[in-house]
Amino acid sequence: MNDPMSELPGLANVRKRFLVLLEERYSSIAEHALTAWDSEDSAEAVNELGEARDILHKIAGTAGSLGFTALGDKARACELEIIEHFETADLDAAPCPAPLVMNLDGFVEQCKTLIAAQSTATA
Amino acid sequence: MKILAVDDDPIILELLSQFMESVGGHELTTAESGFEALALLEANTGPDFDCFLFDIQMPQMDGVELTRKVKAMKRYADSPVMMLTAMSEKRYIDSVFAAGATDYVTKPFEVSELQARLKLLETHVSKRVVNTKKIFATETLSSFASDEQINKPVQLHEPLSIYDVENVIDHVALENYVAQLSRGALFGSSVFAFSIRKIDEFHANLSPFEFKSLIADAAEIISDTLQGFQFLMAYAGNGTFLCVTDSGWQPDLDKLKDIVNLGFLRTEIYDNSGNRLRARVVVGKTVRLVWKSGNALMEALADAHTSAEQASIQAEREHGSIWLTEQRA
Repeated sequence: MNDPMSELPGLANVRKRFLVLLEERYSSIAEHALTAWDSEDSAEAVNELGEARDILHKIAGTAGSLGFTALGDKARACELEIIEHFETADLDAAPCPAPLVMNLDGFVEQCKTLIAAQSTATA
Repeated sequence: MKILAVDDDPIILELLSQFMESVGGHELTTAESGFEALALLEANTGPDFDCFLFDIQMPQMDGVELTRKVKAMKRYADSPVMMLTAMSEKRYIDSVFAAGATDYVTKPFEVSELQARLKLLETHVSKRVVNTKKIFATETLSSFASDEQINKPVQLHEPLSIYDVENVIDHVALENYVAQLSRGALFGSSVFAFSIRKIDEFHANLSPFEFKSLIADAAEIISDTLQGFQFLMAYAGNGTFLCVTDSGWQPDLDKLKDIVNLGFLRTEIYDNSGNRLRARVVVGKTVRLVWKSGNALMEALADAHTSAEQASIQAEREHGSIWLTEQRA
């Protein structure tokens, strides 16, 4: 982002709130992804992935504005991957493919790294 | 401006609050759901909101449905709505404009873009305040609009907003819609226009209410004719309706013109004195939007508009010369 909203005054509190929410959100994404992966019911797996997609959607919509561009881009990529999976895959046969879960796992790791880096920076 | 922003993500609402505070001059109210927004609007006893910022993807009631509900309120039928969209929601853009949105801004926001879009909304709002003109499909015209609004004079060349007619949107919204079409969508997109013949005579001889009713009827007939195709249209003034299609559909315009004229014949439109209005349309040329951007896109709309008006002038000329030939014979 060339023109981040984070240059606006008073954004520090929003960033802090975002990071607190991010911790809850990545935990939820991990939970939904794991439930989808473990589920033997394709409808349930699709539903869980849908929940993960909605959370990713929110992160993608704000991270870039707060200066967390890489995280926002990764969230968007994962969201689009789920959307494409829903639109093109045989959901009964493979409701939750391994590469998708691996990418979600990568995103969760990225969230953890960012939160750790931010808490170190502000400590 | 008094603005209502609705998004289920509290971070977006906080960002908008910070942004509005930094820009200054606006009063922002926020809601986290469509239901909360509607309740706020119902309970609002202060001045009306000037414009709205709605997220598209929200649980229970999405931004498209919320736009429809707000636009159905008499007080807000003419208020601009800017949608807050993510890149992954581009596929919803058509339905968003069809629901009555005026413009959209992409998340994550950039300060300069949000500022520019807000400025445009402000211009839109101030124009509306000075010159509020809205018309509804004929069956709801009298029940929705006040006598004052119905009888307010309307200039011949002035675009009018028409509500409650499927796929008919505001003229400014149509321009915004075309401006945001992606390169891929532009490849299959084209614009064409219908013009009502002798519109200047209708305008001169009809009351403002009768003229607006004629325009609303024409919008319904054209919209009905185009149903089944992917399109958006707007009344651009001077009896001309601009139609944009982005589905790769190459319409047979002469055939469409005949169907629209048949629609006029069947609809039997009358003025308040019971005289039948024998309205007919002509159609201009199809202008493809492929490989156009920025001003060239707006020029393409103008080109389609002009070609329909020229076709109207030509049709009257030809009609006149046939009449003279018959007289001579």
